[in-house]
Amino acid sequence: MEVESTMRSFVYKKLDWQAFLLKILLLSFAFIFIIGPLSSLMIWSLAREWFWPNSLPTVWGLYYWERALTGDIIQSFILSFWLAIAVTVICLVITVPVAYLIARRKLPMQAVFMAIFLIPQAFPQLPVYTNTMTLMYKWNLVGTVSGVLLIQLVGAIVYSVWTLVSVFRNIQPYMEEASFILGAGALKTFFKISLPMALPGIISAGLLVFLFALDEFTGSLLIGAPFIVTAPIYMYNAANGYEMQIASVIAIILMLPGMLFLGLLQRYMKSEYLAAFGRL
Amino acid sequence: MKKINIMLSKWKGIAFALPSTLLIIVLFIYPFLLSFQRSFQLADDSYSLLNYVQSWERYSSDIFFTVFISLVSLFILLLLSIILSGVLRLYSFAVVEFIFKIPLFVPYVVVGHAVRVFLAPHGTLTSLLNALNIVNPDNLPQIAFSSAGLIFALVWKNLGISLLLVLGSFRGVNQNMLEAAESMGASKYQLVKDFLVPICKSSFGVIAVLTFTSMMGSFSIPAMIGGGGGSQMLMIDVHQQMIEQQNLGMANAIGVFGYLFSMGATIYYLNGMGKGAETKYGS
Repeated sequence: MEVESTMRSFVYKKLDWQAFLLKILLLSFAFIFIIGPLSSLMIWSLAREWFWPNSLPTVWGLYYWERALTGDIIQSFILSFWLAIAVTVICLVITVPVAYLIARRKLPMQAVFMAIFLIPQAFPQLPVYTNTMTLMYKWNLVGTVSGVLLIQLVGAIVYSVWTLVSVFRNIQPYMEEASFILGAGALKTFFKISLPMALPGIISAGLLVFLFALDEFTGSLLIGAPFIVTAPIYMYNAANGYEMQIASVIAIILMLPGMLFLGLLQRYMKSEYLAAFGRL
Repeated sequence: MKKINIMLSKWKGIAFALPSTLLIIVLFIYPFLLSFQRSFQLADDSYSLLNYVQSWERYSSDIFFTVFISLVSLFILLLLSIILSGVLRLYSFAVVEFIFKIPLFVPYVVVGHAVRVFLAPHGTLTSLLNALNIVNPDNLPQIAFSSAGLIFALVWKNLGISLLLVLGSFRGVNQNMLEAAESMGASKYQLVKDFLVPICKSSFGVIAVLTFTSMMGSFSIPAMIGGGGGSQMLMIDVHQQMIEQQNLGMANAIGVFGYLFSMGATIYYLNGMGKGAETKYGS
C-alpha cells in the first residue's frame, strides 16, 4: 500500500514536471505568436513619437486616442455600429424561419435551398462582389448606406443560416411533436415551443452576425466607396496612408467587441454552434 | 410509425424561405454566374477566349503564387493545430487555450495591420530583436512585405477556428481508450500520432478545404501586407483589374481561375471522402 502510493506520487510528480515545461513552452509561444502582433498595436496607438532605432517610442501619450475619438472617425464608428445592428435584426428575422425549416427538413426542394446557401461559402467573394457592384450601379445603390447594408446582409445571411441550422438541430423535436399532438398548429408550435427553446442559440447567432457585420470589409469597400466609410475601411485607408497610430487605435477599438464576445463564449456559448458552422 | 409532420403547406414554407433566398440569389448567385459569362466578353461585347489568354500570360505566376501561399499556410496551420490540440487534449491549459482562440474574433483587416506593424522592417519584432542585438540594423529582415509575412498573417487568423475544430474532435475521442493505451506504455507523442490524429482524420479534410478556399480568396490581408513587389495574391489582381483598369472581362477571367481552385479543393475533398468510406466498408 505504502509503496504503491509513493510510486503513484512519483509518477504524478514526473508528469507534473513534464506538464510544467510544456506549459511554459506553450505560453511563451502563445505570447510571441498571438499577443506579439496585438501588443504592437497597443504600443503604436500610444506612440506620440517613435524614430528608428529606438526599440520603444520616445514620447508616449494618448494624443492619437483623443484625435481618433473626436475627429471624423467617430462618425465611421457610429455608422458601422448602426449598420451592424440593422444587419443583425433584419438577418435574424429572415433567417430564423429558413434555418428552422432546413433543420427539420420541411422545405420542398431542400437540396436546392441548401445549395443556394452553400455556394457563397465555397467560392471567393471578391470576384462575385465586383459583378454585384456593376448591378448595384444600375440600381443606384453604390455609395449608399442601403447598398452597404445589402452587401453585408449577403454574408450575414449565409453565416446566420448555418449557425441557426445547427442550433435547431441540437434541439430534439419531441416537444414540438407533443405540442402538435395536443392540437397546436404549426405557427403556434413554432412560436410557443421551438423559438423559446432556441433562444440562447439565436442570441449567440445574433452576436456572431453583429460581429461579422461590424468587421465586414470586402463588400463594404466595393459597394460603399467613396462615400460610405465604415470603421474597417477607415482603418484600411489610414494604414495605407502610413498613419500607423490612427490605424492602430481603430484596430484596437474594432477588436474590443470580439474580445468581449470571446469571454462570453468561454462562459455561456456552446462551441458546437461555431464548430457546426465549419462542418456543415 | 409514420413520422409526425407538423403541418405547414409547401407554399407557406417556401414563402418563409423566400426573402433570404431571393437576396442571396440576386446579390450572389446571379453575379456569380454573370462572372462566367463576362469572363468571355470583350470590350466590344463579342465573345472569345482572349481574356483567359491574356490573364494567363500576365498572371500565371500570381496564380501559382496564390496556390503556393495557400498550401504552405494550410500545411503550417494544420501542423500547428494538431500539435497544440494534442497537448491541450492530454493536458489542459485554460489560459493557453484562451489565448489561441483570440484570432477567432479579430477582424481580417486588423490582423493585416497588426502583422504589418509587428513584422515591418522597423516594426516591433525587429526593434525588439535589434535591442537584443540579434539582427543587424543595417540589414533588416523584410518579413512583413514578403510571402513569409503573408503566410504568418493567414496562419494567425485561421488558427482560432482551426484549433477550435481540431480540439473539438480530439476531445470527442474516448478517454478510456487513451488511458488504456497510456497504461500499456504509449507515450504522449504516440497518443497523438497513433490515436488522436488517425481517429480525427476526417475533420482535417473539412478544415483543409474551408481554410484553403478562404486563404485563396482572401483580399483584406494581402491588401494590407502586399506581396513585396513580386508576385501577389489573385484577389488583389481582380481588384486592380476591376477598379483601376476597369477591365471587367479580365477581372472576371482571373476570378474564374479562383473559382476553379476552390471547386478543385471541394471536389478533391468529396472524392477523398467517398474513397475513405469505400475502404471502410470494403475491408
